[in-house]
Amino acid sequence: MKPDVQTVMMRSFERILTDIAPHLCSEYAVGSSSVIGLMMFQTATEFERAADIRVQENAAMRGLFDEAVGMLPTGELRTRVEEAASSSDPSLKISELDQANDALSALLIELQAHAETMEGTAARKLETKIWDELARAATARRLPHPITG
Amino acid sequence: MEEIAEKTAAYLAHKNPDSSDFEVTDLSRIHGGASRETYRFRASWTEGGARKERALILRRDPEASLIETERDVEFNAYRAFYPTGLPVPEPLYLETDEKWLERPFFVMEQVENCQAASPFGPDPYGPLAEKIGEQFWRHLGTIAGQDPAAIGFAAAADYPAPDTCWKAALDYWEGEIDGDALCPQPIAKGAIRWLRRNPPPPPKRISVVHGDYRTGNFLYDDEGELKTILDWEMCHLGDPLEDIAWAADPLWAFNDPRPGSMIDRDKALSIWSEHSGIEIDPVALRWWEVFSAVKGLAIWISAGKEYEEGNNVDPIMAFSSWYCTDVHNRQLVGWMPDLINAESRS
Repeated sequence: MKPDVQTVMMRSFERILTDIAPHLCSEYAVGSSSVIGLMMFQTATEFERAADIRVQENAAMRGLFDEAVGMLPTGELRTRVEEAASSSDPSLKISELDQANDALSALLIELQAHAETMEGTAARKLETKIWDELARAATARRLPHPITG
Repeated sequence: MEEIAEKTAAYLAHKNPDSSDFEVTDLSRIHGGASRETYRFRASWTEGGARKERALILRRDPEASLIETERDVEFNAYRAFYPTGLPVPEPLYLETDEKWLERPFFVMEQVENCQAASPFGPDPYGPLAEKIGEQFWRHLGTIAGQDPAAIGFAAAADYPAPDTCWKAALDYWEGEIDGDALCPQPIAKGAIRWLRRNPPPPPKRISVVHGDYRTGNFLYDDEGELKTILDWEMCHLGDPLEDIAWAADPLWAFNDPRPGSMIDRDKALSIWSEHSGIEIDPVALRWWEVFSAVKGLAIWISAGKEYEEGNNVDPIMAFSSWYCTDVHNRQLVGWMPDLINAESRS
């Protein structure tokens, strides 16, 4: 698909902000069209990186589960963590990556909550690693702003 | 628009039987105000043989909103604070009968010749920042310092116990996240668990909490006079530090270290304490700052759900869910590791 989606989104964003919004006569229409333009700007970035972000996050969560398995007592949570650690992404479609990401994130919440109730250095280290990964993922997902990039 | 104008004129005529020939002109919808549909208009009528005119605001319930609140909360706040001299619009009519405009609404004074700033750009107040900032924090201190019962607000709101007001607030917003999240929220849930493990000390007293006091929710004129404080739809009774934390949330400052891109934090807090008569406990304030990011996430997550389900397709709902969720998530992951490490757990 050419021109690239990123190019089309960026050009459309510029068009809306410079050529369309200023010529609308309703305050609500000006505001709404500007917001739509801003989201096109952000979509340009998201389109390019969306699959990469999800693949990396899913791999990182599986890595955390792999490390955590040995710390967990035998039981239902340990079984699910073990299974998740060895799972894989079904495809590179965003919807399917999101579905896997949601399942892994839900389990990560359970694991993190469980780790918080455990005593010992290993549990504290696991907590730290989970927060480190959440920070890495949040930074990777940072949405650009036209002013700050 | 024409239909809303005609119906609004009919309503005003109904509320003012001693006047006649009501007309509504220059009706236009205001951008923002995603929790209510907000329209400005001019009303004119004949009274005592003379033609009169007034600029007014109509705030109508949307079919779904960024913030699910009852419109009477906001109207009651205006009614309580208007006589105190705090700059708020004069509230005029609250109407819950859907026969007039299909949904409940209220009408209030339009404060003219002033503007609101967007929190999503750098330095929104420019050279007026210092002057506006002093008024911004002074008014917030005044709100916190008011006796809710004396101004007639307490009767219209739940009165929480000081030692559990944090829990009521957190329970509510966690419920919103759990009910509306379109995907799991590990950052919010981790922060919520920290908040529950580390409850704040109770407030010295229960105050009126505006609930959404920030850049963008007040109007000022070209001379930097803060003319009116708006958007009281999340107003409630609680710990006044909730308002400080929300007003100083980095989301409203766009990378500026000054809260709301106005004045330095220490000066802001000092002005607030002076006018509220309340000393700020830094440990409690830190708790409410983390809470504010969680509350923000709840609002943005709910907005995303309403947009996704088609209940409210205003683009601001999608933008809030994208951009503001992103900012608050990054804010929390920046704060949480230090807070977790500071906990005394083996």
